[in-house]
Amino acid sequence: MSIDEPSLARLMAASQRGDRAAYRALLGDSRKWLTRYFARRIAPHHIDDLVQETLVSMHRKLATWDSGRAFLPWLAAIARYRWIDMLRRQRDEAELGDNDAAVGAEDEAVHAKLSIDHLLTLLPPGQAQAITLVKIEGASIAEASEISGQSESLVKVNIHRGLKKLAELIESE
Amino acid sequence: MNDASIDDLIDGLAGDLKPVRPRRVARGSLWVAAGWLGVGTLLVALFGARHDLAEGAMPPISMLSFWLIAAAGVAAAWSALRMGLPGVGRDYGGWRWAVGALLALPLAALVVFFGEGHAAVETVHHGFDGQCLVQGVIAGLGVGAALFLWLRAGAPTSPTRAGWVIGIAAGAAGATIVALLCSSDDLVHITLWHASAVPVSGVAGRLLLPRFLRW
Repeated sequence: MSIDEPSLARLMAASQRGDRAAYRALLGDSRKWLTRYFARRIAPHHIDDLVQETLVSMHRKLATWDSGRAFLPWLAAIARYRWIDMLRRQRDEAELGDNDAAVGAEDEAVHAKLSIDHLLTLLPPGQAQAITLVKIEGASIAEASEISGQSESLVKVNIHRGLKKLAELIESE
Repeated sequence: MNDASIDDLIDGLAGDLKPVRPRRVARGSLWVAAGWLGVGTLLVALFGARHDLAEGAMPPISMLSFWLIAAAGVAAAWSALRMGLPGVGRDYGGWRWAVGALLALPLAALVVFFGEGHAAVETVHHGFDGQCLVQGVIAGLGVGAALFLWLRAGAPTSPTRAGWVIGIAAGAAGATIVALLCSSDDLVHITLWHASAVPVSGVAGRLLLPRFLRW
């Protein structure tokens, strides 16, 4: 099933009226869209968690969608908020990545608004490289250190500082 | 987590669905207006309105300052209300222009201050003046509370920015209420002790509110 804006908006309007079948369909479509959205932004093993968190947030904030406006920008705003929240948690926990590789995703207008590639260009090169290797490509700290030529401590520091700055940049977009 | 758990989650969320009443900025605006009117009416009843208000004959400087601050307050409140309904690509920055226009007050006050010299210095040190600032900050609590409750129930995607804007709107609302109470028509006084409620409340909003606006 294709995920097009008018269909999603209709499903959302029906969901706000309490139509469970429409809501189930909407959640299913949103899940597909979110999976693609996050695939460009985080390591693959975090995607399902973030999709679930976003679906729950969407459920809690259902009344904040204005039927006079498009649905996908609303969903993207919630997804972005959850993404920032995860970045903050990762920064706070100094959580380390695993070894999966990120998958590609289709370009979409809403995605382009917040391209991670664009945001990374706004970070110092060392921070951008550390985040790309560990948080997006899923390399370990040791592997990232070897590839980038940074010490392991510096990789961790660069991830910490870079994620902090990245969250600020995303909020200001 | 896997596909099955997301399927279960979707089933659970769909099963929990109840009709919701979409939030409208217009309805939030009524809360804000009620916050301003309620506190304004209370303070006017307690302290009395300035002497010339009933005659509708406020001097031009006081009138101009009132509407300048009011415009900044309306713009900030409108931005705060819109922040409760998220959407990538939406512009919440309109309030910056109105608040930027408020800088006309300190600039003009500086000219007056250095032009009038001694009299202006006396204005600054007058004992009642601090009370105007305190009243302004307190008078903004009605609007501040209305915006805070609106955004708590909404989905602000930048709680930090929302804290700033709530504070600025509340401070501007308070400053307009004080303008209805205080009989001073001195531009230095209005800038220092009325309009300064805007940055004071803005900083307070930034420091106090974001943690309660996260969701």
